[in-house]
Amino acid sequence: MKNKGIIIFLIILAVVIVVVIVADFTSTKPGKQGENPFLYDVSEFKKVDPALILYKETKDLRIKFDRPAGITYNDGHLFVVGDSLLQIIKTDGTLVSEIALPDAPECIEVAKDTIFIGFKKYLAVYNMAGELGKVWEPFGEKSVITSLAIWNGNIFIADAGNRKVYRYSTNGKKLNEFEGKTSDDVLHGFIIPSPYFDLAVNNEGELWVVNPGNHAFENYTFDGNLRAYWENSSMKIEGFSGCCNPAHYAFLPDGSFVTSEKGMVRIKVYKPSGELSGVVAPPDKFKDDGHAPDIAVDESGNIYALDFDKKMIRLFEPLRALPE
Amino acid sequence: MGKKAKNRREFIQSGMRMSLGLVVGGLGALSLKHVTKDEWVWQIDPFECTQCGRCATNCVMSPSAVKCIHAYDLCGYCNLCGGYFKPDANKLSTAAENQLCPTAAIQRRYIEKPYFEYVIDEDLCIGCAKCVKGCTSFGNGSLHLQVMHNICLNCNECSIARVCPSHAIKRVKAADAYIVKGDFSKGGKT
Repeated sequence: MKNKGIIIFLIILAVVIVVVIVADFTSTKPGKQGENPFLYDVSEFKKVDPALILYKETKDLRIKFDRPAGITYNDGHLFVVGDSLLQIIKTDGTLVSEIALPDAPECIEVAKDTIFIGFKKYLAVYNMAGELGKVWEPFGEKSVITSLAIWNGNIFIADAGNRKVYRYSTNGKKLNEFEGKTSDDVLHGFIIPSPYFDLAVNNEGELWVVNPGNHAFENYTFDGNLRAYWENSSMKIEGFSGCCNPAHYAFLPDGSFVTSEKGMVRIKVYKPSGELSGVVAPPDKFKDDGHAPDIAVDESGNIYALDFDKKMIRLFEPLRALPE
Repeated sequence: MGKKAKNRREFIQSGMRMSLGLVVGGLGALSLKHVTKDEWVWQIDPFECTQCGRCATNCVMSPSAVKCIHAYDLCGYCNLCGGYFKPDANKLSTAAENQLCPTAAIQRRYIEKPYFEYVIDEDLCIGCAKCVKGCTSFGNGSLHLQVMHNICLNCNECSIARVCPSHAIKRVKAADAYIVKGDFSKGGKT
């Protein structure tokens, strides 16, 4: 009888111990937190219909920058700047040359045999042998040069700090500048909340400037008059998300826009009309909350994405011809 | 001439004076030490914070002593603010269904087209970091969390620090109790 009581006591004790262990295991004590009830959830927007994906990643090219800054393509070569260095690389990844720079570069553009490198407040001009030609005067105390585009002896310079586009001749003579204001009574022009302000000229000689605060592409005459625009604000795949996108872009040979977004990093292609053609690289190809890759495009429509987080150039080739 | 020996009364008097002097001096030294010694308080390093939401749920204070603060010098004053609007907001308006903040603690104030100012109502803020996540991911990261020392009990062991997955909550000197983003006057980071 006495032993039976002890056994019952031990069984009850064992049950209590098991209950305590299980309760402890399933509790929300430190280190055992449940889901965040305040989760900022954009997972739905990261899902991309596979039918929309028009490109596949075929190659990654290693680069040796701690801080990659910009990329452009010219005549079979990729020109990449970062740290205090310019690298000229063949599209198969072979390093052609390395040129030391006097400062941290921000952007690069190449025309014929001349390399223009944008630093924070000024430009420097190099030849293909890496010899420094002319160093331009700084544009201003507040300048943050973010993008360059060249067309027919003109160079367009995007200054995010002053929210202006400058037009110079390629030999350094200032021709004009504009702020994207359509008239004097319009208070705003370019809306640049952060230093992402891209521009490019397509094969038709049309200058398109990103107005990132409006999620817009704006087409200007070389004199700075607004001629056309399209915009699309949305977290959905059709639009541009966040406060200042697209962060970078380039033109395909047919005039389509290849856009790169920050925040929810993704690369997409839009028709010249602004309608979404498809996706080059969905968000799951990139680090969460990563940087928007800079974009370069070759004459075959291959897209080179300079991935600032993985510190490599990622080549995306079209799966099929882009829809007309 | 030999030194005159103290009588008992003089001995007690001088002893009392000496004791009084020691007490006053000791109290002064203690006060001075109290004023000058480094006191430590809890603070969030906004550059380490991963916006996990635990500041809202694990603080012993209710609502939490952690609040969102705004570094206006970093803000883009955007119309489309990632810290104010839900990702799927159907309109850029102040309607409750479009607001990201679960307690409507952010006021959106019109400045001039197309710029808006975003002001935190501290009394409503619960420190959930939802807006911080939106601003950090899609904006300039001007919204960030700080432990408010007028509310914080400065517990010996901070219950948020115990569960902070990124170890962003640390002890800092009381004389420099806040780690504010974008405080360029102090050489702050962006």
